[in-house]
Amino acid sequence: MTSRLSALPVLFVRLQRPCPLVQNRGFKRWLRPTLQTLKKRKERMDPEPLPRRSSFTDWNYKSELFAFGKRLGEDLNLDVLRTAVTTREFVLNEIDQQKAVGIEIDIQMNDNSKMILEGSEIINNYSLNFLRSAFPKLPEEGVIAVQTYLTCEENLSTLAKNLGVADLMLTPEHPVEAVTLSNGFKALVAAISESSGIERANLFVRDFVMTQLVGKNINELWEVNDPLNLLSSILQRDGKQPFEPRIVAETGRNTILANYQVGLYVNKELIGLGCGESIKIATEVAARDALRELFDTTESMKPVNFDVESLPQTFANFSIQDWSSKNVEKLMKSSR
Amino acid sequence: MVFTTVAQFVRANINKIKGPDEFWRKRRIFRLTAHFIGRKRNCYSLAIRGAHRALQYATKGRHLKKKDMKDLWLQRVSAGSEEHGVPFPVLQKGLIRSDVLLSQKTLSELATWEPRTFKALTQLAWTKGVEDGFNRIETLGEPPKNVVTRGMLTKEVYLSDDETKK
Amino acid sequence: MRNIFERVKQWNTLTRIWHLYDAKWQDPFDSAKVIQKYLKGLHKPIYHPLADCGDHVVVINCKEIAMRGDEWRKRAYFHHTGYAGGGTYTLAWELHDKNPLMIMKKAVYRSMKGNLQRRYTMERLHLYAEENVPQDIIENISSVIPQLRDVPMRLDRMPEDQVKGYPKIWDLPKDYVVR
Repeated sequence: MTSRLSALPVLFVRLQRPCPLVQNRGFKRWLRPTLQTLKKRKERMDPEPLPRRSSFTDWNYKSELFAFGKRLGEDLNLDVLRTAVTTREFVLNEIDQQKAVGIEIDIQMNDNSKMILEGSEIINNYSLNFLRSAFPKLPEEGVIAVQTYLTCEENLSTLAKNLGVADLMLTPEHPVEAVTLSNGFKALVAAISESSGIERANLFVRDFVMTQLVGKNINELWEVNDPLNLLSSILQRDGKQPFEPRIVAETGRNTILANYQVGLYVNKELIGLGCGESIKIATEVAARDALRELFDTTESMKPVNFDVESLPQTFANFSIQDWSSKNVEKLMKSSR
Repeated sequence: MVFTTVAQFVRANINKIKGPDEFWRKRRIFRLTAHFIGRKRNCYSLAIRGAHRALQYATKGRHLKKKDMKDLWLQRVSAGSEEHGVPFPVLQKGLIRSDVLLSQKTLSELATWEPRTFKALTQLAWTKGVEDGFNRIETLGEPPKNVVTRGMLTKEVYLSDDETKK
Repeated sequence: MRNIFERVKQWNTLTRIWHLYDAKWQDPFDSAKVIQKYLKGLHKPIYHPLADCGDHVVVINCKEIAMRGDEWRKRAYFHHTGYAGGGTYTLAWELHDKNPLMIMKKAVYRSMKGNLQRRYTMERLHLYAEENVPQDIIENISSVIPQLRDVPMRLDRMPEDQVKGYPKIWDLPKDYVVR
């Protein structure tokens, strides 16, 4: 037997040797120094540039565009969508590149500069009408302030980024800047309008732009300058007596932590209550309180109703200069 | 096994971590003592003692924290109810009898963030106390008039035997 | 914080109220239990041991506190100078004669747990022996802590016509000596 074994290949002979049955993986003594060295080298180098999503091997732009529309739940025309995410700089860049290579220029690409304007108009129109009918008592200045906030570059670019527009944008800049993103969002609205009609685009604006109002305080977005004069002029227009400020409560008058509560009274009736570290501030806050009571933007106001299909109001709210509760009520009755 | 925190992982594996490379073994302990002050942060033999002690404290602290929070809620609720002229026992008993089964925590949050709601609860409890004739309820003064019960809060369960016989 | 309403709301919530407490004919130890609650902010639903939400308490008439039974004679206050044989026991009435604020102050101090916060909390306690409080302190006050007991009317301080008009059961004999 042994004589026959000696003729077998070397590998087989090795298996015959007595060896432990336990798996002996061992402690990797090289692991720590290697990881440490790698980490130190990485720290010494410049930070890694953000990779473009389109540089990955699994990137398929066409199917991404298709999937984007489906993700939004919209039936989008792919050519229109492609135009919406193509920037002017990108097209110019392409032309330059072709020139540099020396081939004849035949680029059939459209850029989104026209769609940005269209989309911006849709967003502005719809948001103004929505805010006017949601806050019928808020002066027009307040409506515009809220609208400016909702459609500002920062907010629209955040929306676009969260929807995943950044990866789809055809633009030379990387990472994509906020202006480009917000423009992309506007163009996207125009694309929806072109593919499935203006009503669908309006609903899109309602669902994404207007819902930013949830949990927001209107008084934070719009502050009245000189509330005392404004309140007295409104009272005058309503034919009421001028208000009378009275200290309701105070404590620690001679300390730096003094606190005053001031109430504004018209005909011995409380119209606003404010507090603050001085009588002046407390009076001002009381006037603001009375104003937010009039404009219906109190803390206990009803949450904004987003479940609106059509908007009844297309005319402007009253401006601060001629706002009075009589006028507003008349207008609200007639619009119903 | 899934360990949600490093501390639990170490506690489960403290005796299993062996091997020739002491770096990994010690690093687990140093992670626990990273926020300590003095030599017990970086010297291993002191650090491991500190880590053991800290884990013991953490075990005790988990129970103490619950107790502390309960005490705090009680303090806040009784402060809130006394603000409206109702002692805490009256509030508690009145709410239970009115089938308002809110926990101490919820009540304390209401007292802080929803003072008007909390005031309504105290008034309800007070009215219930007057209806059921709580001991010395009349010493609280004039009961609130804005609570309308129409006798609907009364339940036979809570009445004593003599009252049900009537 | 841009919104002015939120700012003043916080100011209003965490404001320090100034309370007045009249210690006339009140037990200092029972009063201390009530006063410390206001000093620490335990009477507020926003209370937290780490939140600085305590109020000020101005205590007047500390000179006219009342003690139960013969506590004025039996209660002793210990003080040690730190030197050998430096311990002294002072009876309550003696201490009250020397400083009429001391008993009230010690009562409030002892009613609180000994921690780092206690001395800062004590700074919000303002003690006065009588009713005459400085004007700038008076102006701060905006709330009153109710007394624990009603102050009884003393016969020798009643108006004379009220005493004379009180219905009598019998007339004293003419030769009776009223002390």
